[in-house]
Parts: sequence; structure tokens; C-alpha cells
Amino acid sequence: MNRILWIVVSLVGAGAWGVIALNRGETINAAWLVLAAVGTYLVAYRFYSRFLARRVFELDQRATPAERLSNGRDYCPTTKWVLFGHHFAAIAGAGPLVGPVLAMQFGWLPGTLWIVFGVVLGGAVQDFVILFGSMRRDGKSLGKMARDEIGPVTGLFAMVAILAIMVILLAVLALVVVNALKDSPWGIFSILCTIPIALMMGVWMRFLRPGKTIEATVAGIVLLIAALVGGRYVALSPTLAPLFTHSGLTIAWGLMIYGFIASVLPVWLLLAPRDYLSTFMKIGTIVLLAIGILIVMPPLRMPALTRFIDGTGPVFAGKLFPFAFITIACGAISGFHALVSSGTTPKMIRREGDARLIGYGGMLTESFVAIMALCAAAALDPGIYFSINAPLAALGGTVESAAAQIRQWGFTVTPEQLTALSASVGEASLLGRVGGAPSLAVGMASIFSGVFGRHLMGLWYHFAIMFEALFILTTLDAGTRVGRFMLQEFLGHIWEPLGRTSWYPSNLLASALITAAWGYFLVQGVLDPLGGINSLWPLFGISNQLLAAVALCVGTTLIIKAGKKRYAWVTLLPLAWLLVVTLTAGWQKIFAADPRLGFLSHARSIADRVAAGSMDPAIAARLIWNDRLDAALAGIFMTIVVALVIASVREWLAVIRGKKPAVVKETPFVESAYAN
Amino acid sequence: MRTNGRLDGWSAGRLENFLSDLKRICGMPDYPGYLQHMAERHPGSDVLSEREFFEAHVNARYGNGASRCC
Repeated sequence: MNRILWIVVSLVGAGAWGVIALNRGETINAAWLVLAAVGTYLVAYRFYSRFLARRVFELDQRATPAERLSNGRDYCPTTKWVLFGHHFAAIAGAGPLVGPVLAMQFGWLPGTLWIVFGVVLGGAVQDFVILFGSMRRDGKSLGKMARDEIGPVTGLFAMVAILAIMVILLAVLALVVVNALKDSPWGIFSILCTIPIALMMGVWMRFLRPGKTIEATVAGIVLLIAALVGGRYVALSPTLAPLFTHSGLTIAWGLMIYGFIASVLPVWLLLAPRDYLSTFMKIGTIVLLAIGILIVMPPLRMPALTRFIDGTGPVFAGKLFPFAFITIACGAISGFHALVSSGTTPKMIRREGDARLIGYGGMLTESFVAIMALCAAAALDPGIYFSINAPLAALGGTVESAAAQIRQWGFTVTPEQLTALSASVGEASLLGRVGGAPSLAVGMASIFSGVFGRHLMGLWYHFAIMFEALFILTTLDAGTRVGRFMLQEFLGHIWEPLGRTSWYPSNLLASALITAAWGYFLVQGVLDPLGGINSLWPLFGISNQLLAAVALCVGTTLIIKAGKKRYAWVTLLPLAWLLVVTLTAGWQKIFAADPRLGFLSHARSIADRVAAGSMDPAIAARLIWNDRLDAALAGIFMTIVVALVIASVREWLAVIRGKKPAVVKETPFVESAYAN
Repeated sequence: MRTNGRLDGWSAGRLENFLSDLKRICGMPDYPGYLQHMAERHPGSDVLSEREFFEAHVNARYGNGASRCC
């Protein structure tokens, strides 16, 4: 019976892939993508993750850290499905929603294939192996495992990589928010309201009704919806609207000030309530989106492949290979997850066997979110998609110029359609809002209005924007804090008092430095004539995949040291692919001759324009400096990857050749008291 | 439903379990769960008040900057 069920599941998945393969050139329904993806996930979970759990990791009956060290707080045995939800909420953020939308410029097919097969063979394996490794070591962090299992230098590289990726991540996510909120009084008003709402919740939970988190959060959500509805009236009011209409640059400075203040306030006041709010909203909205797509089952209007696979795409420069695989990180493979899988989650696993559902299954679920975001974006008219995601410099400032340019790219859209769309979502203009959030919001709003009626389009659009901005702001706050602690650890080596996290001046200094670092890249992105996303998103992708390479190196080391070198391919395969992708993309971003793609050739083209007298030398000097900085950063990322892989390979060879004992540094075996 | 206006034992227990699961999924402090843990594993020792537990939990979870994903 069981066997028949799995044959049916496999056939349905394979059949859906068949429909996708045979219908090239015709419009197909999003339902086929969802079916193919889910079929593949189920088969991979049932067979591949079982192989990993039983043969490669040999999960057994030993007591987990949660059981041995249980303290009712961070070490706390938690039921399988509850922890699955918790882990999923911690790994899924804006990443899986933004990447697939940006990569849509290549068409929906490359993204779909990479998301589904990348997760099954790469991302889910990475999350699972790190969760397994950390669980066997009392919940050790990725950096500590790298240091203990590979060597101290590798550990240091891992730390630097984590700090660098944090800075780029915060900058690029902030840029997504800036592009969504610029000149949008409705958006700015509703996002600003989230701050006092979170503060009120914080006071409520600490002083008024201590510990009553659920009721405070529910009250917060009600207020949030009220702010959302109120935003419409603010946008329509001739006196209030100008107060909440700001340029990208002003919003960027606002975000920096916010990030700095938020990261030095006590956590109960702002960060914790904001995190509760965004987690509630995240889970609710993702469930809503899944239901919406299943009810509406939109046809995919974007072609399977667009002409932009040749690298001339307006959203970001670069060919399908390697840039589709850099642009989509979260959803396929995301190095950042290694931090969560070696953070809170391993300390909460009740039984070893649960790690399979939580590590492998949790990542499959994030991949599913990415597929839904992809469907929502692919359901948009391609002309509309490019009007929102191409930079203003390419589109020109008016709907007429934008429509003319989009026709040149081979898609049809009329100026009237563009005007009607922005009016329906309550915005003055949606042109050139690069970053993925606004086009995803339009896609989500169309799907939700398909279920609930068209007159609510504006409300749904701003709901989607608020939902994304809410957890991006939470990430800014939490990320600045993480960066601050890491920086304080470094600074402590230079002058001991700077390392004290209880010393306020040191906290202020470290927070200011981290905020300045991501703020610098943010402002650079806002002022970039190519739209900012063009340079920052690839850097983010490269750095995120770099972290994934660190995680996979650690994973391979764990497997080899456990005496299982015949299974080392499970992590070596995705590692090899990531190295090819990351190094190719990094090389092209630095050295490519096309000024839109290569940082150095862009710097040269600017210098040429100054020499020809067609550009202000002061602006040019800034742009050239930024190009060189970005090039240097890409170079540093590539150097770290190469150094890390060399160190790891030497360690593997030493173990394989018997020069080093194949011993893992696991916590000794203790039988679990939990019965099956 | 009992006549005294309170939910009967079955559905009250259900609701409590659901809220406890919801809190854990969202990373919120679960005070009843903590009390249960203390009663089972450390009977007789002092327990934190709900407010102390909230502060300890929030500081443990966010104090060093909660790692989270993009």
C-alpha cells in the first residue's frame, strides 16, 4: 500500500515535469509548477533524506543536547512539528521572496529548476548536515565547528565571512525597503506605525501584563491593520501626504538612524515584540499566499525563457549562467541557514531522528515559499514586471517612455495600463521600483484580489509591502546587533574594554561602526544610476553562497572524519557546483568587459566620460571609488573561498591518507530516555 | 461546556496546548511549559516569576542578536 502511494506520488511529480517540458512556448498554469515541485520534494524527503539520516549520519537513540542539558530556556526538548515551525520561521525571511522575483528576468524556467533541484541536492543537505553536526556537539556554532574540525585559520575566515555577509545582507535588504517606500506616503506611514506599535507591545509584555505575549501580539496585529487602512487616507490627504513622502536618500538615512537606535535599545522594548509581530505575519501571509495560489491557479504569463538569458537584462546584468544561481540563494541553497541550524534549533531537538524533518524538511518548505513567490511574479504580465523592476534610468521618467522601452525589449504594455496599475494600488508611480518587493506585492495583491474581490487591490498591495518591510526591519535590528557583538569580539583583541558587551560606550561605538558599514553600501545603492540592486544583489548572492561553501566544507569534514568518505559526495557535489558558480560570478563581476557587469570596466567607462567632459568629476570620483570597493569586496570573498577550500582539502587528505586520525569531536553517547 | 462558565477540561487543555505550541513556534517564552519543566526536573527548587521568566527568555534569545535568515 505504502509502495503504491509512493509510486503515485512519483508519477504525479514526473507527469507535472512532463507537462512543463512539453508545453514550451505556450502559457501553462502555475498549478503544474506547484505539483512538480511538491512531488519532487516528497520523493526527495522520503528517499534521499532517509538515506542521509540512516546511512550517512546514522541518527540513533542517543540523548540530544536538549535532553541532557535541559534548562527550560534555550536547551529545551521540543516536539517535532513545533520545532519544525520554529526553525522554518527562523530561516524564511525576505530572501526566498526577493531572489526568485529578480531572477524572473530570465523567465520562470531557470528559477524553477534551480529552486527545486538546488534545494533537494544542495540547500536541504547543507541545513541537515550542519544541524546534525551541531546537535552532536551540544549546539556549537558554525564558526566554532569550523575551528575545531578544520583549523583555527578556517575558523577566523568563517568569522570574517559571516561579518561581511551580514553587512552586505543588511545593505541590500534595506535597499529593497527603500525602493519599495520611496515617494510612497501610504507605505511610509504604515511602516512608521510599526515602531510605536512594537514599543507599546514591549511595554505591555514587560510592565502591564508581564509575559502575556500572545495577547500583546494579537493587539499589535489589529493596530497594524488599522495603520494599513489609515495609510490610504494619509496618502489621499493633501496636508498629510507630503509629510510622509520622501526620497530614497532620506529613507536610507532614516533606516540607518533606526537601525542604530534599535540595536542599542533593550531587546524587550523593540526587537522582541517586532520579532513576534513579524513571525505571526510571516506564517499567516505565507499560508494565505499558498491558499491564494491554489484557489486562483494563475496562468504564468512570463515566458519560460526570455531573451535576457544572454546577459542584457535590465534588472541586473549577467548571463543565465552563473547569475541565475547567484540571484536565487535562499530557496535553493542559503549559507545563512547554517547559522540558524547551528544556533537555537539544535538545542531544542527532542530526539535525533527529528533532525531529518527539521533540517531537511524545513529547507524544503522554504524552497516551496520561493516557488510560490516565483509563481506570483510569473503570473504578472511581463511588461508590467519589467516596468517595475527595470531601473528608472532605462525606463525614463514617464509611463510613455517606459512603455516604449518595454516594447523595444519585445513585451507589450500600454501607458494606460501602467497608469491604471499604479492608481489601483494607491501609488503615484510603480516605475523603476527595483528590488523585488513591489512586483511581488503586485503579484500577491492580484492573487488575493482574485480571491477576495478587486476593489481591495491597494490594501493587499500595501499589506504585502508592509509584511516584507516588517521583517526586513526586524532583520536590520537583529543583524546590526549580531554584527555589533562580532565586532566587539574583534575589537576586544585590540583594546580589552572594547570587547565588553556590558560597557555602553563600546556598544555605541560598535553599533555605529556596523550601521555605518551597511549604511555606506545602502547609500551607494540608492545613488547608483544602474539601480543599486545590479551591484549589491550579486555581491549578496556571492557572499551568501560563500557561507554555504564554508558550511559544506565543514559538513564534508564531519562526514570524512566519521569514517564515511564513500558518502562524502553528498556535500562535495553541491560544494563543487557552488565553487564553479561563485568563482565564475565573482570573476565576471570584477573583470567582465561589459561596463554594466564588470565593476572595473564600469569604473573605466566613467573615467572615459569624465575625460570626454560629459560627467561631473566629483560624482564620477565617487562612482569610481565605489566600483573599486565592490571589486575589492568580490575579490576578498573569492580569496576566502579558495583559502578555505584549500585548508579543508588538506585536512580531508590527511585523514584519508591516515596521517590524521579519523576522529570527530562529538559529545559522548548517552542513551535517550525518550521512548519511541 | 460546564455550567459554571468555564471550558471543560478537554477543550481548556487543548487550547492551552495550542497556545503553548504557537508560542514555541514563534520563539515566545512559554511560562506554563517552564513551570511544568521545573516541576518535573527540579521539584522543590525556586521558580522564576512570569515577569522574571519573560526577561530571562528574551535576553537569552535576543541578547546576543538572534541569528536569523535573510
